[in-house]
Amino acid sequence: MRIPSVVFIATLILFSIFTYAFVDANLSYFSIFYTGYYSTHRIFLALLYAILIAILFGCFYFFIKNTDKLRLDLNKIIGLVVLATIISYPAALAFDIFNYMTTAKALFFYQENPYIIYPIEFINDPYLEFTRAANKTALYGHFWIILSGIPYFVGIGNFILTLFSFKAFIALFYIGTVYLINKMDKNAVIFFALNPLVIVEILVSSHNDIVMVFFALLSFYFFFKKRYGFSAMAIIGSILIKFATLFLVPIFTAMLKDRLIGKKINQGKAYVYCAIFMFLIFLVSPFREELYPWYAIWFIPFTALLYKNRFLQNLVLVFSFGLMLRYIPYMVTGSYFGPTPIIRNILMITPVLMFLIYYWLRVLFQRS
Amino acid sequence: MGMAQKKLKTQNSKLKTSMKHFLWLPFFIIIFFFKISPSFAESSYVLPYPSAMPGSVFYKLNLIKEEILKYWYFGDFGQFHFNLKQSDKYLVEAKTLFDYKQYFLANTALQKSDRYFEKIYPNLLLAHKNGKNISEKERILKNAAQKHLEELTKIRNRVPSVFEWTPEKGRPTKLNLWENFDGSIKLRQKRL
Repeated sequence: MRIPSVVFIATLILFSIFTYAFVDANLSYFSIFYTGYYSTHRIFLALLYAILIAILFGCFYFFIKNTDKLRLDLNKIIGLVVLATIISYPAALAFDIFNYMTTAKALFFYQENPYIIYPIEFINDPYLEFTRAANKTALYGHFWIILSGIPYFVGIGNFILTLFSFKAFIALFYIGTVYLINKMDKNAVIFFALNPLVIVEILVSSHNDIVMVFFALLSFYFFFKKRYGFSAMAIIGSILIKFATLFLVPIFTAMLKDRLIGKKINQGKAYVYCAIFMFLIFLVSPFREELYPWYAIWFIPFTALLYKNRFLQNLVLVFSFGLMLRYIPYMVTGSYFGPTPIIRNILMITPVLMFLIYYWLRVLFQRS
Repeated sequence: MGMAQKKLKTQNSKLKTSMKHFLWLPFFIIIFFFKISPSFAESSYVLPYPSAMPGSVFYKLNLIKEEILKYWYFGDFGQFHFNLKQSDKYLVEAKTLFDYKQYFLANTALQKSDRYFEKIYPNLLLAHKNGKNISEKERILKNAAQKHLEELTKIRNRVPSVFEWTPEKGRPTKLNLWENFDGSIKLRQKRL
């Protein structure tokens, strides 16, 4: 039973090493790691990525299928997962971490309003060489900008230290979210904590979506503990990180109404609505930009809490896998245009369709 | 053969006649370039559309918004953008009011534009002192000053040198419009 855990952790370590193949040529601070493999060995890297992701999802399927038998030591496995991924290069799949750092620098170093001043206005700033979206003002909420001051100051002006401070800061929110889910329902935690999409997008790519999700869950936690003031503060904090959790406000309002009239609140039902609402906002996200795999973090914690619905969990697992495959076309072609968008969607949908067909056939056979 | 030669000759003469028409082309090109050459001196800087005018409720709201924005645009670059934006806005307001011969209000708007314009450069110097590269901002300011000058020169030619403004229940006030314009122009010329 220990073998899948060992394979899982070993694959994560390999994945962390693999990310260094994508070190940006302009990132002078990491020039020692620069190989240029992402442009010279495209197919090999894409294949390696697919294999690593497949192994991680294979192990993950095994974990959730055998949760009762495995009796995983949660603290130990979470500690190992964090340790295995904290060393990874965070901009292998997305460049958002550089954006967080540049925005924090605009406010805390240059003392300018990042909602007004574009990063490109700081001519000759070394961060501009590798920051994407330098022609955009701050994209995130005020609370995130303030919070980003913590890792920024921990970095004491050193790029590498700041980068890893941001990674550690995001990792703390991952640990916090795991802790909260565990508090809310012990049976739900594995589905969230060991989901390869969650691990890669949060612990490797360091997306701040986890901070938003943490405060949203904290708000539910406080609500069910009848500490409504803290609950309201937490949901406001969550909204002021990335706005998506604004869609949870109607659910809170409905729960508050039920509480006021003395009706018992059905937590399971609340999670169902949360999962639906967050999935809807996930679906409409392409209207703003595109369907990014890390947006799945918005609904995965709520589907984790719905662990009794095996079909839903398997569907989310398969969809998570499909979302992670979206990176392959760009790895192969090096372009976001041409056939890349359509192949991305095909790769994302195929596992889901295969699962649905399999499920449908299974039901048919069982009936016959 | 004879027929073919005749055809060739007619074609050649046709070509020569059409070539004669094209002889005018270089002449037209020269005329065209001479005609458009003054526009090269014009600034590419774009001023905003006129917003609400004095007397409107929205104007009062804009004044409140302006006070709030002053703090939102913190930082050296922020203040650079804020002051330039306000200076542009009040210049456009002044231009519109001068067109409608509302000289008193127009003159007040022009003075406001001057006050904001005056604050731009000190913020750039502060940014430079704080280690920020201000070359691009200096270019923007130069373009803005050029555009302001173009507009100010145009308006100055349309307004009287002195205007006596008499409020309904007050003493008349003498407005030295040209003098004020000269002051505004001088202020902008410093930034060229």
